[in-house]
Amino acid sequence: MSEEQPQQSAAPAKAARGQEGGGKAAAGAAPAAGRAAANKQPPAPDPRVLAAKEQAERLHQAVADRFGPEAVLESGAAHHKPMLRIARERWLDAVNYLRTHPDWRLNYVECMAGTDYEDRIEVVLFVQSTELGHFVCLKTQTPRDEAWLPSLVSVYPGVNWEEREIYDLLGVDFRGHPDLRRIMLDDDFVGHPLRKDYSVWAETERPLVDGQRP
Amino acid sequence: MELNADSRLPVIEYEGLTPEENMELRRAGVLLQPLEQLKAWARSNSLWPLTFGLACCAIEMMGASASHYDMDRFGIFFRASPRQSDVMIVAGTVTKKMAPLLRRLYEQMADPKWVVAMGVCATAGGPYVRSYSVVKGVDQVVPVDIYIPGCPPSPPALIYGLNLLQEKIRREARMRRERA
Amino acid sequence: MALLDEANQVRTEEMLLNVGPQHPSTHGVFRLLVKISGETILDADPVIGYLHRGTEKLAEDLQYTQIIPYTDRLDYLAAMLNNYAFCHTVEEALDIQVPERAEYLRVILMEMQRIASHLLFIGTYLLDLGAMSPFLYVFQERERIVQLFNEISGARMTYNFMRIGGVKYDAPPGWLDKVRAFVPFMREKIKMYDSLITGNEIFLDRTRGVGVYDAETALAYGMSGINLRSTGFDWDLRRKKPYSIYDRFDFAVPLGQHGDCFDRYYLHLLEMGESLKIVEQALEQIPDTGPVLGKVPRLIRIPAGEYYSGIEGARGELGFFIVSDGKDKPYRLKIRKPSFVNLQLLPQLLRGQNIANLIAILGAVDIVLGEVDA
Repeated sequence: MSEEQPQQSAAPAKAARGQEGGGKAAAGAAPAAGRAAANKQPPAPDPRVLAAKEQAERLHQAVADRFGPEAVLESGAAHHKPMLRIARERWLDAVNYLRTHPDWRLNYVECMAGTDYEDRIEVVLFVQSTELGHFVCLKTQTPRDEAWLPSLVSVYPGVNWEEREIYDLLGVDFRGHPDLRRIMLDDDFVGHPLRKDYSVWAETERPLVDGQRP
Repeated sequence: MELNADSRLPVIEYEGLTPEENMELRRAGVLLQPLEQLKAWARSNSLWPLTFGLACCAIEMMGASASHYDMDRFGIFFRASPRQSDVMIVAGTVTKKMAPLLRRLYEQMADPKWVVAMGVCATAGGPYVRSYSVVKGVDQVVPVDIYIPGCPPSPPALIYGLNLLQEKIRREARMRRERA
Repeated sequence: MALLDEANQVRTEEMLLNVGPQHPSTHGVFRLLVKISGETILDADPVIGYLHRGTEKLAEDLQYTQIIPYTDRLDYLAAMLNNYAFCHTVEEALDIQVPERAEYLRVILMEMQRIASHLLFIGTYLLDLGAMSPFLYVFQERERIVQLFNEISGARMTYNFMRIGGVKYDAPPGWLDKVRAFVPFMREKIKMYDSLITGNEIFLDRTRGVGVYDAETALAYGMSGINLRSTGFDWDLRRKKPYSIYDRFDFAVPLGQHGDCFDRYYLHLLEMGESLKIVEQALEQIPDTGPVLGKVPRLIRIPAGEYYSGIEGARGELGFFIVSDGKDKPYRLKIRKPSFVNLQLLPQLLRGQNIANLIAILGAVDIVLGEVDA
């Protein structure tokens, strides 16, 4: 351990980074960074974010041209990646379209994740093109009650288990999934633990072994 | 290597015999022992654990049985079937999905049988104690003889725990005689 | 002749065979229901979740630094890589600069970890196929790596060593020299394994042409790591999306040709050699002194948003997806688990195979149940 003092107060470190890095601090949620940057002019937006937004715009165009403007709910950037929010009715078609579209060829799914927000459940698909190098984040969402989404298994067979996991832990019904059942938890489990209103203690009363609780 | 005092058959002055008779017995290599103690001595030196690796601890368990630490020295030899084994080393986190199976495996083992809870997860839930899917200690499912703390316990810790189990087996046999 | 005709007419009944969750060759608590007719597998249904510990839910209640120990216990054979994958995601989200010496230490540790993990793969894979001695051999070398890790981090398996912005401690005096001495030692051992295993007739018979799939299938199934590269598809994140300081090293990405179990085994062996190359170069380039922990705020808060980044883990692409709402704890943490994804193809691979190939195919996927189930 040499001279450094890593646990300094946050503000100077943040400010220094804001100058050199261009604009990460511009995301602005960190209060210390906001205070430090307030004296100077607002930092220029991060070029990586701009590039991502520009790419997202092109994605938006491609999908909207094909499926109509109501198919895309939002386009923007998720960190440094282009992000497109697609209506769940068009989820399967739009993803399949982008998979085969010669300009995009998004053929390789990196990550699929579901998140429970208080008002909706969102499913994110990080997908990329191994040939063209695109890396984009596609999103869709469903209401929390009677949550359902079209299944992507027919397009990407590799999301089979991911969708089962989201079904298991978040309670999203994937319509058209060939084999939708719980994957991580046992069949008697009640509830979906990754939902925000799930209580960790809800499970404690269930017997561990059939008919007995030693 | 110095033998553990317990693993040697004790030299006893048998009650009711004269010193000459005792000497005679010892010289002839005759051993008068309650059968229970002899059995416990034999059992304790040939523990056959069930390969029941659940999580991270299983790797340290494998490490303990592999070349560097070599548990075969103690007569501890892994078996893959519960029918052939008499010790269950629960090495890792027990989930609620696993608990009924663990219980069934325990019931499939022939008596006498012992359970070693290896690591904090098996002991008390460990880092996962607040999880919705983890059993907070394997003793909620099966009776446990030895708890080995650590996350994961190193192979020497596991060997020490198993040595304690050997001692426990022998001591139990002695105590049973005293009770009788 | 009559007897032979009769024998040919013998019809076998379909049988449901249960493998696991307590089975020595399932590498943990993996369960496989197999429907067989005679010796042929008709269908297979993997059942997982016996080690599902709810890490993702637990992480929602933990500060970013507190999550690092939980990443250790995901893929417990490659804990350093998990540590790094998580720290890297947070560092990317905050644009944290990591000091040079820390980056080099991390690379050395990660590549050593990759070697340790691959070693264990080779040992257990051969054990699954019925060869006991490689298992005993690999644990000797693995023990050396583990001892080195123990010296630097104080733990044998669950290190909790990397920090957001660097590593916890600097290397103790003389540690780097020990690593330097380890490199040629390990190189000799790899040669030994190559001559011991690779040419073995029985081993070749059991793995050549077994469990074959092509690159297209692998991509459609989202496979990564050696499982993808064994098909000849060049995809190594250390090259494709260089993170850390991997662009400074000269190393090859070994590729398979046939996409069979043998290729997967052989790539593990070759990758160990490449990892040694990286370690060697890192040892040459590492600055002698310097801080090992960057300037990081005391309380780490990530600006609201979504962050994903993946690294090349020992088993494939290991990624963390963080949803932050600006607090010091993640709103949602999702782990992109390479073995979980790689395992999905298993039923298709097993269909129509001989029952004896089951373990050979399963073993070559190189799963760790702690990661599959998380």
